[in-house]
Amino acid sequence: MAESTFMGVPRSKIPWAPSIDYEKCDFCMECDEFCPHRVFERRDGDVKLVVANPENCVVFCRACAKTCGPDALSFPDKPATVALIKRLRAAETALQAGPDTVDKKEGEE
Amino acid sequence: MKLAVLACTGLDKAEGSVAREVAIRLAEEAGARIICPVVLNCTPARYKKALAEDRLIVVDGCAIQCAGRLAAAAQKKPAQKVIVSDVVKKTGATLGAGLRLGAEGLGVARMIVDDIEAAEAAACGRGPTSGEAPAGAEGATAAVRFAGPSDFIVVVHDKYEFRIPAEGFLFNANDVWVQVCGTRARVGISDYMQQHLTDITFVDPPPMGYVVEQFGELGTVESIKATFEVISPVSGTVVSLNQAVIDAPESINEDPYGAWIVELEPTSWEQDRALLVDGPAYAAEVERKASEY
Repeated sequence: MAESTFMGVPRSKIPWAPSIDYEKCDFCMECDEFCPHRVFERRDGDVKLVVANPENCVVFCRACAKTCGPDALSFPDKPATVALIKRLRAAETALQAGPDTVDKKEGEE
Repeated sequence: MKLAVLACTGLDKAEGSVAREVAIRLAEEAGARIICPVVLNCTPARYKKALAEDRLIVVDGCAIQCAGRLAAAAQKKPAQKVIVSDVVKKTGATLGAGLRLGAEGLGVARMIVDDIEAAEAAACGRGPTSGEAPAGAEGATAAVRFAGPSDFIVVVHDKYEFRIPAEGFLFNANDVWVQVCGTRARVGISDYMQQHLTDITFVDPPPMGYVVEQFGELGTVESIKATFEVISPVSGTVVSLNQAVIDAPESINEDPYGAWIVELEPTSWEQDRALLVDGPAYAAEVERKASEY
């Protein structure tokens, strides 16, 4: 299957997903019950919940954080993520501009 | 309804250069059709359609009002009229002796364009569903100016059909659409997303006056299946909420491109639009999402 993209950028290059603060998380599982994209997975043992599928997370969506009573979920900075996507898009355009550009930009050391 | 701008091209005065600059900016920013006064004077038939259909903005350079007179001769009543020399006098700006515009002249042009766009937005922003305002003449104008899509691209996947307006709407990758009219932008969710969510039961909009960055959150839409964060396609300030949709959230299921949720005054539309896609590109995206789902 073709690699998933977001705004023309490979999803794998966009680090958008929740982080769980285990100091705060009480494993109530509200976020896991809420998220339809299977971003979280439950585990046996002390750490009962992990972010197992970060690339399933919808870029810019922070809806699960609102379900979190102890405020244990955080996300990357949105403007920084937008800036990163803009940079990656520009790089993508440069790549398409031709092999000369690619060699200059990504030539091996 | 489109805008048409009939501006003085007065080549012998700096005010004419300002009027010309205003026309160009209105064409670029609001998609206004430019009516050249020289051509109008020679061959009026050329602009018959524009004069019959469009809202006309007349921008004159000086008190002679050549453009205004030409509009009168064509029996067209302007929706708005501006005389650059009046604005210059009122603001105390100095255009200088030359014909080329300096910073001050460009500033005057910018101010005139902003005023025209704000007045147009006031005429088209007070929609029939934006509160207690009665659906009077202005409401009717708004309905025309924020016209619904006339042509759809249909993406078929299994038993589902997803409709995407072929033009007039732009989309972000989060399935939120934006329709821009003058200096106002309406935001809603796409047909693909409303079908994905199934029966929508609750719309929780942001407060009036809320300032949002592009890709910031503009409230949520809840269905029997999920809660969806409305990710803003534009940066701006919320100036109107669609009370009819808040009262009857199912209208999003029934008419996703008519049931706008919030109206904004965009602050950096030209930058924002570079990160949005048009109908055909969004249709390709829907096709991909549907096949991956």
